[in-house]
Amino acid sequence: MTDYAMTDGNNKLLIDVGSTYFKISTLDAIEQHFRDFNKGILDDLMAKCGETISRFGKQDIHVCSSANGGLSTLIIGVTNSFSLKYATSIAFNSGINIIDTILYQNIEDYSLPSDLIDVVIIVGGADTHSDLFSDSLYSYLKQLDYSNIVYVGTARDAPRIRENIKDVVVLPNIIDDRLHIVEEHLKAYLTNLYQQDIEGKEDIKHLYDITDNQIFPTPYIVNKALPMIDAKFSVTDPFILLDIGGATTDIHYSKDLVEDNIVTENEYDRLVFKRLGVYKSKQSLIFAAQSNEFVYELLTHLKVTENIFNEQNDKATKVLMQLAIFLVLCKMSHHGKSFINLKLLAINSIVLTGGITKVLTVEEIEIIIAFFYKKILTSDHNPVTVLDSNYDIWTLGAGGNQ
Amino acid sequence: MKVVTGVVGNDIHVVANRLIDLSLQARGYEVFNLGVNTHLEEFFDAAVETGADALVISSLNGEAEGWGREVRLLKANYKTLDDLVMMIGGNLVVGSGNTEDIVARYKNYGFDLVCHQVDLNTGLDSLAAFLEERSQS
Ligand code: B12
Repeated sequence: MTDYAMTDGNNKLLIDVGSTYFKISTLDAIEQHFRDFNKGILDDLMAKCGETISRFGKQDIHVCSSANGGLSTLIIGVTNSFSLKYATSIAFNSGINIIDTILYQNIEDYSLPSDLIDVVIIVGGADTHSDLFSDSLYSYLKQLDYSNIVYVGTARDAPRIRENIKDVVVLPNIIDDRLHIVEEHLKAYLTNLYQQDIEGKEDIKHLYDITDNQIFPTPYIVNKALPMIDAKFSVTDPFILLDIGGATTDIHYSKDLVEDNIVTENEYDRLVFKRLGVYKSKQSLIFAAQSNEFVYELLTHLKVTENIFNEQNDKATKVLMQLAIFLVLCKMSHHGKSFINLKLLAINSIVLTGGITKVLTVEEIEIIIAFFYKKILTSDHNPVTVLDSNYDIWTLGAGGNQ
Repeated sequence: MKVVTGVVGNDIHVVANRLIDLSLQARGYEVFNLGVNTHLEEFFDAAVETGADALVISSLNGEAEGWGREVRLLKANYKTLDDLVMMIGGNLVVGSGNTEDIVARYKNYGFDLVCHQVDLNTGLDSLAAFLEERSQS
């Protein structure tokens, strides 16, 4: 991994390429531009920011990207509480967005995904256990279309798995002898694959023309910044950070907020709601909103009607973003059954980053948060809203140890 | 023999749990301790991940009574747990009750061994005897 500490932190150009827009940051300014999808990413970037870019050497330019859409992952595990949950958590923390899971004992009941899967993860069993997988796994895999496959289950089954699955990569078990999670090996493997995926995508590959440094997934960069967040904001732990993007929404949260059996070294974990965004995923956001029983009350509270969904103006964008905040909070409470439930009443700060900070004011966000706590959790709890409107968090993470 | 243990539900009484862990180990079992605040589903899932022979569940605050009915239903979802020995002990009702009734009720819920306010060593002796008997039949 690149060690940023080696370069002169003060003279760097940071570039973030997203699904909807890109932003570039120098010591004295941050620019943000909507992407022009008729152009390749590099051409578009050079057309808009070429002058700035030309002022920096390749070693001083750092790029992160979420524009390749991330890897698609299928996890096959033997239980929900351990193997599937642990692998899902590691995948999210590695920057992966698209995750489907199969509970192995019922594998015959699952339909085959029609799209090519970038990576299949097979997991199950503590190392003292064996014979967890059999023919039903191998025959399912025979019908499945995938590019990579990795086994991270009990070491005792590794030889059988190797015999039966061609080109499988075998890594140390992600479940240890106390049934705790072991992240590092699978995380390194997935981050690497993500890397190769970026390098393989024609469009993004060209970005290496302007940088000598490794291109990281954006969420990885954000997660890396969180332990240093107090350098820029008065944020009180525990907090959550919402990054509502064009295509997906990322949540990073303090580990203290999880009522859970996952014990990791990380102070902050990440999870993603795919197909929840305000541009590319707008339709599925509206769909999710329409199936939430509290949304109509919320719209009334915001003094708009359902017609706002059909409108295309600034007001509509604001409301969509407000809805996104509400839906994400719902999904993380016990009300929505996501893979993890957070202790939302313990949150002291809610930090928002990304494009949303350019559209909504603190008041417009607080109104949603207050509504959520009142209606869903029937509480007057009122965490402090913090807007990262200068992309300081991203700058912190991308700039490394300054 | 492998045993999964822990305290079920929103129950934070940890002292007995520590003692159970140590006692089971002293008796030669391989122990997987899930600690306090453990959901029923996590017990079954842990049995799948470890290939455990037995679940030794504690409930001290009396709440086990509340979800006892769910045990069979939940266990029925698992395809590999038919031989799992199920044991529960601690304070199995809120307040006081007739031990015979309590034992019958929990057996009905699907537990093989029920130790309402039974001392730990006595309880674990009965587990050993049960496993021994089972291995002979
Ligand atoms: C210490 C204590 C607490 C501490 C716990 C600290 C901690 N982190 O462990 C605190 C103060 C936090 C606490 C809280 C509460 N407690 Co409290 N607590 C006790 C107390 C005084 C001692 C428990 C203890 O540690 N005993 C020592 C251990 C070694 O003994 P043991 O737990 O009884 O276990 C023995 C046996 O039961 C057996 N055993 C246990 N599990 C199993 C399993 C198997 C398979 C077998 C064979 C045997 C077995 O082996 C052990 C050794 O022999 C008991 C009263 C008492 N004297 O027992 C109440 C008691 C358990 N608590 C009780 C209650 C109600 C509560 C609260 C709900 C109170 C409240 N209203 O807030 C909360 C519950 C919080 C929660 N979410 O669970 C009640 C439960 C009543 C019931 N079931 O009908 C008790 C019995 C007090 C009472 N008489 O009312 N409690």
